[in-house]
Amino acid sequence: MEAATSTKVPKILVIATLSGGYAGADYVGQQHLHYATNTSILPVRCPSMFSEDFYINAFEKGIDGIIVMYSGTDSPYKGGPERTAQIIDNTYKQMQERGLNTRRLRLAAICTVCKKPFLKQVKEMNETLDEIGFVQDELAGKGDG
Amino acid sequence: MDINKIKADALVVGGGIAGMQSALDLADQGYQVVLVEKDPSIGGKMIQLSKVFPTLDCCSCITTPKMSAVANHANIQTLTYCEVQSIDNADGHFVAQILKKPRYVDEDDCTGCRQCEYVCPIDVPSVFDLNMTARRAIRVPFSTAVPQLAVLDIENCILCGKCARACPADAVDFTQTAYEIELEVDAIVLATGFETTPIDAKKEYGAGNLHNVIDGLMMERLLAPTGPYARVLRPGDGKEPESIAYVQCAGSRDETLGVEYCSRVCCMYAIKQAMLIAGALPMADITLYYMDIRAFGKGYDQFYQNAQAMGIEFVKGKVAKITEDENQNPVVRVELIDEGQVVERTHDMIVLSVGMVPQYNPGSVYSVGVGEYGFIKSPAPNISSTETNRSGIFATGAATAPMDIVDSIASASAAASGAAAHLEAVQGGN
Amino acid sequence: MTETSDLKNEEIKIGVYTCYCGGNISDVVKCEKVADALREMPNVVVSRTNMAMCSDVGQSIIEEDIKSKGLNRVIVGACAPSLHEQTFRGTVSRAGLNPYLYHHVGLREQNSWVHGNNPGEATKKAIRLMLAGLAKARLLKPLDAIKLEAEVHALVIGGGVAGLRSAYDIARRGIRVTLIEKTPFLGGRMAQLETVFPTNNQAREDLHDLIEKVTQHPNITLYTSAEMVGYGGYIGNYEVQIRQQSRGVSGDIAEAALAACTQEIPDEFNYGLTKRKVIYRAYEGCYPSDPAVDWEHYDGKPLDIDGKEVVFENTIKTFDLKVGAIVMATGFNPYEPPKGDYGYGELPEVVTLPQFIRYMGFRESSDELTWNGRPVRDIAVIHCVGSRHVAGVHDPQPDGILNNYCSRVCCTAALHQVNELREEFPQLNVYDFYNDIRTYGLEHEAYYKEASQNMVRFLRFHVDERPEVAAAPAGDTHPVLVKGKDYLTNGLEIEAAVDLVILAVGIIPNPVPELVDLMKIPVGDDRFLLEVHPKLRPVETPVPGVVLAGTAQSPMNIQESCNAASAAAAKVSALLAKGQVILEPFVAKVDLEKCDGTGKCVEVCEYEDAIAVKTITIDGKEVQRAVVTPANCSGCGNCVSACPNKAVEVQGWEVAQFEAMVEALAMEVEA
Repeated sequence: MEAATSTKVPKILVIATLSGGYAGADYVGQQHLHYATNTSILPVRCPSMFSEDFYINAFEKGIDGIIVMYSGTDSPYKGGPERTAQIIDNTYKQMQERGLNTRRLRLAAICTVCKKPFLKQVKEMNETLDEIGFVQDELAGKGDG
Repeated sequence: MDINKIKADALVVGGGIAGMQSALDLADQGYQVVLVEKDPSIGGKMIQLSKVFPTLDCCSCITTPKMSAVANHANIQTLTYCEVQSIDNADGHFVAQILKKPRYVDEDDCTGCRQCEYVCPIDVPSVFDLNMTARRAIRVPFSTAVPQLAVLDIENCILCGKCARACPADAVDFTQTAYEIELEVDAIVLATGFETTPIDAKKEYGAGNLHNVIDGLMMERLLAPTGPYARVLRPGDGKEPESIAYVQCAGSRDETLGVEYCSRVCCMYAIKQAMLIAGALPMADITLYYMDIRAFGKGYDQFYQNAQAMGIEFVKGKVAKITEDENQNPVVRVELIDEGQVVERTHDMIVLSVGMVPQYNPGSVYSVGVGEYGFIKSPAPNISSTETNRSGIFATGAATAPMDIVDSIASASAAASGAAAHLEAVQGGN
Repeated sequence: MTETSDLKNEEIKIGVYTCYCGGNISDVVKCEKVADALREMPNVVVSRTNMAMCSDVGQSIIEEDIKSKGLNRVIVGACAPSLHEQTFRGTVSRAGLNPYLYHHVGLREQNSWVHGNNPGEATKKAIRLMLAGLAKARLLKPLDAIKLEAEVHALVIGGGVAGLRSAYDIARRGIRVTLIEKTPFLGGRMAQLETVFPTNNQAREDLHDLIEKVTQHPNITLYTSAEMVGYGGYIGNYEVQIRQQSRGVSGDIAEAALAACTQEIPDEFNYGLTKRKVIYRAYEGCYPSDPAVDWEHYDGKPLDIDGKEVVFENTIKTFDLKVGAIVMATGFNPYEPPKGDYGYGELPEVVTLPQFIRYMGFRESSDELTWNGRPVRDIAVIHCVGSRHVAGVHDPQPDGILNNYCSRVCCTAALHQVNELREEFPQLNVYDFYNDIRTYGLEHEAYYKEASQNMVRFLRFHVDERPEVAAAPAGDTHPVLVKGKDYLTNGLEIEAAVDLVILAVGIIPNPVPELVDLMKIPVGDDRFLLEVHPKLRPVETPVPGVVLAGTAQSPMNIQESCNAASAAAAKVSALLAKGQVILEPFVAKVDLEKCDGTGKCVEVCEYEDAIAVKTITIDGKEVQRAVVTPANCSGCGNCVSACPNKAVEVQGWEVAQFEAMVEALAMEVEA
């Protein structure tokens, strides 16, 4: 496995709402635009279902960056976006307590035809991860090197 | 003989995209529908296509689920390999006499395993692949056919019996004969579709005798993943073409052919094919000779703009003549309108963007009115385009005018709406 | 931590299918490698590929495997779940499996179509996504769809030809329809036309036939001057609020009020070419025939009617309706060029085609065509004004969007008008500046041919060399000069001196931002309302039970609008004719063993009576537990994250399933 680390790329998890980010990602696909392959997109109804520990657990499992693409003010769910924003905020605090760089977690409102914002989010997360490195190193070493 | 009498609410004639959509929309409203298709499989022209504009969805991905939905719908009975012989009025109902043509294969027993096809010694040109490949005399019509049943074409059969011996279900039956089915319904939707203008119609374009001049539908097959060579090759010599040109309006907007109208789909399918070829053969030069690019639908002009950005060459010019050189390379003689000069250009392959003509004359069986060009005509084309001059008979899709898939589907749902309202009126409730 | 599957004693047997999608996936992703990788995984009984899993053949393979191999979970990696998830739920259900034991993985829109430049990594990603799908599949539970009574009643928004057509078709199926029109009169844009292609019928005659059918239909209730202002509920059970302004004048004093009114404003029916009173009829013969007060412009001053001073009051009425489905027939506006573009708004001799059609409608007929009192002998028509815009050549609209689409109707409409003019005024000389002539319909080409044979001079411009319109120098024979290059004659510079310029303007959607906000209907890049898929679900929006009719969706001519409207009616009828809608079971479910009635879930839930703490009896003891009312639950999951005991889940979207997927995604994949 050591040899593999040289080609290892950071893993980005995208949590995307069916009414927003997930449809937006499909739209990007329909336009045949390109983005990095290290992204895996999981559809959700509304990310308000995830509590803080879901994100912390994901980092601990080895996910290097998470983009939560919610529907913002376009959400079909009353109170969902507000609650999501609150949970993400709380998660930032927990990440700081554990020495995790909070830039690993992003919340972005992505609509069904938001192709540019979608691509921008993926690109910026990759740039961030290039800069701050793998989550495992952060969890294990904390500032080694 | 009761078994050959059926009662239903509606008859849909034609199992292409329009007929399937009409049948589904009626069935979803709770009406019992009988769908009659003259070919051994439903799917129509659409199932032959490669990918579809402007989304570039694989055509199969749109068509096959609809075929499957038709086949599995509890309210739809599909009669393939059948033709409507006559329509009578009886007690306010329509009574259709339908001829069931013999498949020479028992439909209840056949499992579509294709063992018959593998052992059949007779190869005949495949109409599905526009004669670019061969098929067997007995075969399942194509890989995604619905139903998955073999059909034997008796004219080419030598009665060697190999298929019958190979069939694990003992389903081959050389003695099968045609029979009649009597169907009573209260509404009819005609979705009899179109044919392309024949490739040999135009003398100036070689009358079908030039080796490397094909038509748009043939190119669809070449580009389809299930196509004859699984890649784009010149049919003349199997060479990979480096320069491909499209001749637009080859069989539309042409008085000499009696097709004065615009066929509405050719610009878009040519642009789409050009984009697909550019993907398959990145080094090839692709040119479209056109008079007007008619990219009018939702997302179509943007699609055209993308094609221009990909480097596909759009040349405004009317192609006067196509000949071929000693290497069987087609040579176009074209008036370049922007430059104001006539030139001859040699390509490796030419695709004629052929147009659409009616498939079927409904006059004798259905007594519905047709327009100047043979398409079924509505007495109120703007407000009620799917009505015909006969109450209870509706027409939809390319049977009424050339139209693309998107417009055919809208028209098909509209016809279903009209037929449903008619059924509600004559039956007084569903 | 000993979470086990519901099917406790049953071994989990999963079938995995990777679709080629006719090359759409397999041209990039090595589908066989994906299938091989999945085959090795625990619980996977069979792993196959097919050219098109969604075809009948593909579906039959799954059905056969379920029956012969006893599969109890199925995953397919194919196109987006929005396209074929339902298809495969149907497939597994036909083979006797609960439809929610199916899981769909998107390998096309989110993989092969975006990673065509990197096939190796795309294959690895496909394996990763499929492994995540497999992880979820292991934890899937059978679910039952929720069946609810539906209101057999549809709301149609918009009283133009599409709304009328839709309302009529739905009503004829025995379904109650409420049609609302925000102006005081029915008919929409079609009422503003004169003769129409391809029939050459009088537009208002055709329209009035339809209006008569609609207004006489017993199933249709009509509200003019009415708008939807409130919206809630869900498919089959929408609760909407309608606000209706009063007409202002009633029957007996209508004519007197009309006569007495003197306040005038530009008449929008004639696109501002004439004026009308603020108590008005849209046009002679309009429906309803009673005049209406234009509340936006009425100055509130009393009118002298039969010696009495009368002040008109707008009594606004607001009421609620329960409807099962909603048809959006909100229509279009003609594009209005910015001031100065082609001289529009600066030179009085520059008009749009819709304006000119109105002019021909209201002018006194005479042997000579005049404009502003001057005889018109030479006309220029310019196509693609407001359509087919190209970045770098045209400026974006004020909202930053470029009108890069074709408006579909303008070519034929312009040539239809030109031919009528040439017929009525044979001396008229017409220059037609175009880029492509798009007379695409069966009988449309005839208009082009007629114009060509009828001495209309066609001049073809390149999109980056648009014709220029300028005032002619003083003393010139004509008031306006149109300059351009004609590429039908080798780029010859043309200067046409004309008396009138007609701009064949395009179609832009009638903006309905309030409705879009309220209903969360997506809007496309071109600002038109967006359908789910142009071929699979062409008139449906992602909002269940909300469908599109006519030019709210894209430019269309009358025939196309009516077809789309009838198609929308077919979808509404299919939905409501049964009187019942079936909803996905994706709602909150409480584990009564874990719940101890904290009520945290209720605090975060914003849906009326969706979840509540109630006293229930368990094992003879009265306890406080959270109880869900499925019909009122949106399935958002607010309660899930709020519960301190992790006692709530959204069925089909359980946190444990996500945790399993994340674990799969975090693993390294070899390919």
